[in-house]
Amino acid sequence: MTLLLKQIFSFFQLLNSETGTNQLASGLACGLILGFSPFLSIQTLLILCLVFFFRIQMGAAFLSAFFFKFVAFIVDPWADQLGREILENVSLRPLFTEMYNMPLVPLTRFNNSIVMGSGLVGLIMVIPAFFIFRVLITKYRATFVARFKGTKIWKAFATTKVYGWYSKYKELYG
Amino acid sequence: MTMTTEKNKKTQGPIRWNAVIPFLIICALTFIYFHFFFDFNLRKAFEWAGYKSVGAEVNIANLETSFFKASLRIQGIEITDAEKPLQNTIEIGDIRWGMSWDALLRGKILVNEAMIENIQFNTSRKYAGRVAPPEPPPKPGPGMLEKEAEKLKEEALAKAQQHYADNMLGDLAAILGGTDAKAQLGKIEGSLVSKKKAQEIEADIKSKQKFWDDKVKTLPQGKDIQALGDRLNKIKTKDFKTPQELQFSLQELDAVLKQGDIYYKQIGSTGQDLEKDLKKIDADIKELDVLIKADIKALETRFRIPSINTKELTRALFNKYLGKYMAKINHYRAMAEKYIPPKYMDKITGKDQGKSEDGDEISIQPHPREKGISYEFGRKNSYPLLWIKKAAISSQAGMAPKSGNIRGQILDITSNQVLTGRPTVATINGDFPTEQIKDLLLKLVLDNTKADSLVTYQISVGSYPIAGTDLVTSSDVKISLTSAVGKLNIDGQLKALREFKMNLNNQFTTTNFKISAKDGNIDSILKNTFSSLPIINLIGSASGYLPSISFEVTSNLGSELEKGLRKQVEVKIAEARKQINAYINQEVGKQREQIDNQVKQVREQVEREVKKIQDQLNTQKKQAEAKVEQAKKDAENQAKKKLGEQGQKAVEDLKKKFGF
Repeated sequence: MTLLLKQIFSFFQLLNSETGTNQLASGLACGLILGFSPFLSIQTLLILCLVFFFRIQMGAAFLSAFFFKFVAFIVDPWADQLGREILENVSLRPLFTEMYNMPLVPLTRFNNSIVMGSGLVGLIMVIPAFFIFRVLITKYRATFVARFKGTKIWKAFATTKVYGWYSKYKELYG
Repeated sequence: MTMTTEKNKKTQGPIRWNAVIPFLIICALTFIYFHFFFDFNLRKAFEWAGYKSVGAEVNIANLETSFFKASLRIQGIEITDAEKPLQNTIEIGDIRWGMSWDALLRGKILVNEAMIENIQFNTSRKYAGRVAPPEPPPKPGPGMLEKEAEKLKEEALAKAQQHYADNMLGDLAAILGGTDAKAQLGKIEGSLVSKKKAQEIEADIKSKQKFWDDKVKTLPQGKDIQALGDRLNKIKTKDFKTPQELQFSLQELDAVLKQGDIYYKQIGSTGQDLEKDLKKIDADIKELDVLIKADIKALETRFRIPSINTKELTRALFNKYLGKYMAKINHYRAMAEKYIPPKYMDKITGKDQGKSEDGDEISIQPHPREKGISYEFGRKNSYPLLWIKKAAISSQAGMAPKSGNIRGQILDITSNQVLTGRPTVATINGDFPTEQIKDLLLKLVLDNTKADSLVTYQISVGSYPIAGTDLVTSSDVKISLTSAVGKLNIDGQLKALREFKMNLNNQFTTTNFKISAKDGNIDSILKNTFSSLPIINLIGSASGYLPSISFEVTSNLGSELEKGLRKQVEVKIAEARKQINAYINQEVGKQREQIDNQVKQVREQVEREVKKIQDQLNTQKKQAEAKVEQAKKDAENQAKKKLGEQGQKAVEDLKKKFGF
C-alpha cells in the first residue's frame, strides 16, 4: 500500500515536473490495457512485469487502470457483442483452434467473449492513447502548471523554508 | 554533489535495474520457503483441518509437493477412531496426484495419476490419538421432523408391499385348507356395488314408469280423436250451392287436418323421448353387467383367490430378498435425481429431445458465464479442460472384520470425451476374505464419444454367503433361507440417459431352507419342491424408458412350485369362484331379471298406447283427405254442369234470335 501511495504521489510530482513525459504516457497507456483486461490473466501479468521492470510510471499505470476498469465495465455489453462476433466467425475458427491449443495463449482467456471484445478495444486504443496522453501532458504543463507557478501564492510558498527543505530533500534523494 | 546527481539521472536507461534485485531476492525467498518449509506447513495444516473436521487426531507421515512436477504425494494418513483412540478408523498408505505442465500451460488440467493405495480399516495405532470433545446434539427442527416422517412413510410402504407378497403363499394355503366362502359371503351383502346399482336402476325405472303413465295421459286420447272425427263428418263435401259454401268447407277441412298434424307431432316427439329413456336404461343395464363382473373380481380378491403362475410365485418368494436391493436402488435414484444437473435431468425425463451432435465434427461449445461466454475450441487428441488419465484406489484386508483386498481404477475422467476419444472406465475388483465374498467385480463405462451417450455397467460376485433371510412370513406359511452360497451377475446399459436395460442372474447353491405351513398338503409340496432343487436361480430383467421401468423376475423355484401347487390349488380356486358367481347371481341376478321385465313392460305399454292413438289418427287423416278429395270433385262437377247449362241456354237464345 505504501508503495502504491508513493507511486501515486510520484505520478503527481512527475506530472508537475518538466521531465518523464514518455514514462507518464506509457504508464497511462499500460493502465488502459490493464483496465480492459481481466485481473487473472497472463496479459495482466505481462503488463505488470513491463511496468515493474521498465521505466513506466507505476502510479500512472495504476490510476489509469482504476479509471479504465470503470470504462471497461460500462462498455462490457458492446465488448461482449464484439467478442461473440469475432469468436463465432467461421473463417477465424482455425486460428482460434490453433491458439486455444498452444501453450500460454489460452491463459489470456481470449476465448471469453468479453475478454476478447474489451481486449481488442484496448489493443486498438493503446497506441493512439499513448500519443494523446503525451500531447495532453505537454499541454497540461504548458498551460496549467506554468500558470500556477506564476501565481503569487505559489511564489510565496516557494520562498518558504518548508519548500526549501523539500527542494533540498528532492535534490538529495530524488 | 549536484553534478553527480545529474550524471546519475542521465545514465538511467529504459530498464528499472533497481527493481530487478529486490525481485530476484523475493523469488529466491519464495523458492527457499517452498523448497524447505512449505511441505511441513501444508502437512500440519492438513492434520489440523482433519482434526477439526473429523473430531479425532489425524496424522500424516509424509507430504511432498513438487512445483516442477506439479505433483502432490501424501503418505501414511491415519485417522483416529474417536470411540477407540488406540485404533484408526482408516489408514491410507499412499495418495499420489500428478499433473502435466504441458496441459497447465495451455490452461487445462491433465492428471496423469491420482492414486489412493493401501487403504486399511481399524488398524492399531502406536499411541492413543487425540479426540475432540463431543458437540451438543442439534435441536430437532422441521427438517428433522420431515426426514422422520419420510422415513416412517417409506417403512410403512415397504411393510405393506411385503405383507401383500407374503399373503400370496398364505392365500394358497388358505384355499387348500378349504376356507368356507359361503359363511363369509353373507356378511358382505351390503357392500356389493352391482346390487346398489341394480336397486338404483329399479327405482329409476319405477319413476320412469310413472312419468310415462302421466305422459301417455297427456297424449290425445280416443275421445279427442273421436271429436275430431265428428267435426270432420259435419263438414259438407257435396251439393255446394255457392262458391262461398265450398270455400268454407275447404277451410274447415284444412283446420281439421292441421289439428291432426299437431296430434301427430305430439305423438312423434313422445315416441322419440321414450326411445331416449329406453336407451339410457339400456346403458344403465350394461353398466350393471360391468359392475357385476367387477364385484366378482373384487370378491375373488377379498377371499384372496390367487392366480397360479410362475412370475407371481417368484415375486412372492423373492420379494423380501429383492426388497432390500430395490430400496437401495430407489435411495440412490432419489439421490441422483437430487444431484444430477438440470440439463442431464431434462435428458433423462425426455424434455431435452431433438438435440444431436455430429460425432466427427467437434463443435465449439459455449459455456454461459456470469459475464460473457467462454468458447471451447477443441480438436481431436487435444487436451480437454479437465482430464484425469488414471485414478486408482486399493485396499488390503488386514485384521479388520469388514475389510477386503480391493483394487479399483478409473481411467480417463474428462470434461470432453470427444476430444480424448476415450470413454471413462471405472473398475473395482477384489475379495473380502473375512466376509467370504470372492471375485467381486464392479465395472462402469461412460461413453460420451458418440451422439448418444452410453453407460454400461456390470456387477458380479463369484460367491457370497447368504444367511438368515426370511422369504415369506405369513400366518399360514413361513419360508426362510437359513444358509446358501450366492453367485450374482448384473449387467446392463443406459443409452442416451433414457433407454434402460438390466439383466440379473442370481444363483443359490448349497441351500438350506426352513419351511413350515399350517396346511399339511402345502407343507409337503413346499418341502419337496425346495429340496428337489440343487441350484435355485433368480433371473430378472428390467427395461424401458426412464423413469418408467418394467421389472420382470423368474425363477426355477417358481416354476417348480407352480407345477406342484397347480393341480391341487386350481380345483379349490374354481370351487371358490363358482361360489362367488352363484352368490352374485343370487343377489343381483334376480334384480337384473326384474329390471329386464320392468323395462319390457314399460316399453310394451307405452308403445301399445302410442300405436293405438297413431292408428286412430291415421284413420281420421285418411277420412279427412278423402273428404277433401270428394269436396273438390263435387265442386268440379257442379261447375262443369253449370257451365253446360249456361252454354245450352245461350244456344237456345241464339236459336230464338235467328228464328229457328
